[in-house]
Amino acid sequence: MAVARAARSGLNGLFAVYKPPGVAWFRVRDTVETLLLKELNSLEQPVVQQQVRFVPTTVEGNAGKELTLVATQLPVLAAHPLVRGPKFTSLKIGAGHRLDTKSSGVFVLAVGHGNKLLIDLYNAHLTRAYTVRGLFGKATDDFSDTGRLIEKTTFDHVTRDKLERILAVIQGSNHKALLTYSNIDLKTQEAYELAVEGLIRPMEKSPPLITAIRCLQFAPPEFQLEIQCLHETQQYLRKIVHEIGLELKSTAVCTQVRRIRDGFFTLDNALLRTHWNLQNIQNSIQESKIKVKLELQRSLGYQSRSGKRHTDMDQVAESELQSTEGTFASNLTDKMR
Amino acid sequence: MALAPLLLAGSRRWKRLPGAQRELLLRGLWGAPPLPGLVRGFAQQARPRGSREAREAEDSAPVFQYVGQRAKRKERLFVWGFCHAGALGIPSFVKPDAGWKKPRRIQPTPYRLETAEKISSAACGYGFTLISSKTTDITKVWGMGLNKDSQLGFQRSRKDRTKGYEYVLEPSPIPLPLDNPQKTRVLQVSCGRAHSLILTDEEGVFSMGNNSYGQCGRKVTEDEIYSESHIIHRLQEFDGRVVQVVCGQDHSLFRTEKGEVYSCGWGADGQTGLGHYNITSAPTKLGGDIAGVNIVQVASYGDSCLAVSNEGDLFGWGNSEYLQLASITETTQVNVPRYLPFKVGKIKDAACGGTGNAVVNEEGNVFVWGYGILGKGPNLMETATPEMIPPTLFGLSDFSPDTHVSCIRCGISQFAAVNNRGELFVWGKNIRGCLGIGRMEDQYFPWRVTIPGEVVDVACGIDHMVTLVKSFI
Repeated sequence: MAVARAARSGLNGLFAVYKPPGVAWFRVRDTVETLLLKELNSLEQPVVQQQVRFVPTTVEGNAGKELTLVATQLPVLAAHPLVRGPKFTSLKIGAGHRLDTKSSGVFVLAVGHGNKLLIDLYNAHLTRAYTVRGLFGKATDDFSDTGRLIEKTTFDHVTRDKLERILAVIQGSNHKALLTYSNIDLKTQEAYELAVEGLIRPMEKSPPLITAIRCLQFAPPEFQLEIQCLHETQQYLRKIVHEIGLELKSTAVCTQVRRIRDGFFTLDNALLRTHWNLQNIQNSIQESKIKVKLELQRSLGYQSRSGKRHTDMDQVAESELQSTEGTFASNLTDKMR
Repeated sequence: MALAPLLLAGSRRWKRLPGAQRELLLRGLWGAPPLPGLVRGFAQQARPRGSREAREAEDSAPVFQYVGQRAKRKERLFVWGFCHAGALGIPSFVKPDAGWKKPRRIQPTPYRLETAEKISSAACGYGFTLISSKTTDITKVWGMGLNKDSQLGFQRSRKDRTKGYEYVLEPSPIPLPLDNPQKTRVLQVSCGRAHSLILTDEEGVFSMGNNSYGQCGRKVTEDEIYSESHIIHRLQEFDGRVVQVVCGQDHSLFRTEKGEVYSCGWGADGQTGLGHYNITSAPTKLGGDIAGVNIVQVASYGDSCLAVSNEGDLFGWGNSEYLQLASITETTQVNVPRYLPFKVGKIKDAACGGTGNAVVNEEGNVFVWGYGILGKGPNLMETATPEMIPPTLFGLSDFSPDTHVSCIRCGISQFAAVNNRGELFVWGKNIRGCLGIGRMEDQYFPWRVTIPGEVVDVACGIDHMVTLVKSFI
């Protein structure tokens, strides 16, 4: 019992799992909850206590069968798990930024007291990074390759150079939107300094914004992009792929959306399906505890000190925590160590 | 069936048939059993399709081609700024095409100007614009905007053949008196306050407009009336071929192949650089520190001038009231070209504005000095030595580390920079929306202008701008 309670107290914090594609996010959350509960309940060995009871039984007496009380040892069933039920029936597991059914990648979950941190994490407005795979040549109604076909076009005129030109324009106009939605008075010296350092970012609700986009692979008809964005949804990224196709005077659909970073949780921190057990999750919570505490302290500190301050929390934390903001995906593993 | 010919005759007979007979007719004629009382024609009922059928339908779908494999990128022209003088070249801004529409005073964002030919050079003056094409057709230069000093040549009025237009609302051809109109090409145009210069490859420089200070390079005639004037003066008295013409506010600069600079026009601020403060009416060679130096670029727009040598050195002369030349002298007018010993590296491009100057060095960094909104926030309003604008403001980031500025242009109190990715950045005083950023406020640091294309060149004027743009695909 003590073991189980100790284990349960270790389960308070944030951790990341790898959500596979084709599965809804709440099923992942439920699965994790079920597995954890199963393990927690199996940790406890039911100690069956015995008691001495005087039980009326028939005994061979002088004149046939007589009813006498005999002391027998009986188990106490009041505390038996089959009577009471399992010790742990539910765990409070909350989800961070959700992933839709077709996409995969890093999915942050919070357990126990960590759920309170989720709100703070949302208010920190951290960016996320995705790798998005696309296919030239067709357009569908839901911008993915499983939708209803709308049109097929040629794409032999598309070159890597043209694609990068379009990506540069997307990045430029989104960079401009970043500055506009941050609600800073552009006539101040402060705004100039923040713009120079690249620290401006909206800290309130804003439309989806792309902070960086670049082409990782180009092999027509397939291509792969890395997108770092803010306040986005996966369907928005699919729409971006569709619009890139239109800008190139062709069409494109999105075949895969995979989140490689959510704030400061990267693919290295995300637990695979085979690793969804108590020990791994506890280790993961422990590892991310320090990072989370520092990160949110800074965010709350900044926000309380100067109203709603529009600084990039990741950039600020980068110097100390070797965060992954603005770095290439290939250098992620080096930076994380 | 006997009733069949009745159908073809007309619908009235059809309607008089009783319902059951109509139904029978339908079934007989069309074979497939339709819904009772409903003619479906060729439509088929919707039914769930298997994945193989869906794949086959997708494979057999037609493929559309919007652009060929070797499609060329199209050249476009975008304008924005103050519209009332007609300098933007879109007549509906000044005279709307519907009675209920109001004339547009300012065009705050880039607007496409359709031109007949591919434009290779554009220049903005004080309320007028010149655009030119390197074609061998008869019409090579078009002008729009203010024409009160004949800076756009003589634009014959259609109502009265003896008078000319004072405001030209549409790009109108400027007839040049060329010897070989079907062979000569116009290389560059330049506009000043009330005069303009056109550079051709074989026939020298043509000047038109106001000549009260000799800026057109011909003798000043007293009481000359410049409006509705037919005079287009040809300047050929240069030693060598002229390769660049620059118009200041009331003076003109000419740069020849050999690297020499000639000037004429008003000199009260020393902007002619000829050692005196008088008017010069014939192009005269400059001396001073640029004598013997191979100059590769000259820049001017207001009353001060800059020249760049082939080794990347910078020379300046003219007005220095706004600290443009304060690093070498205390005087406010410099009438002889002087070397500017700035430590900014080898200079590739220079631009002179009304009160501020800017240069771009080999690495693509922008340096600004002078007075006014220089681009480093509201705190930096004047400086005598060049200050670098951080390259992150021009699009440099971890994801694109090789972004740098490739060219810089100046208007009277605004700057425009184009980086190597074809993005346009503007900053400065937003006079009547000339920055094109969609807002009317001044911009204290470089701000991206959203243009649907890759910017090739920019021309800045007092209150409007013109950009030459290539489409993306």
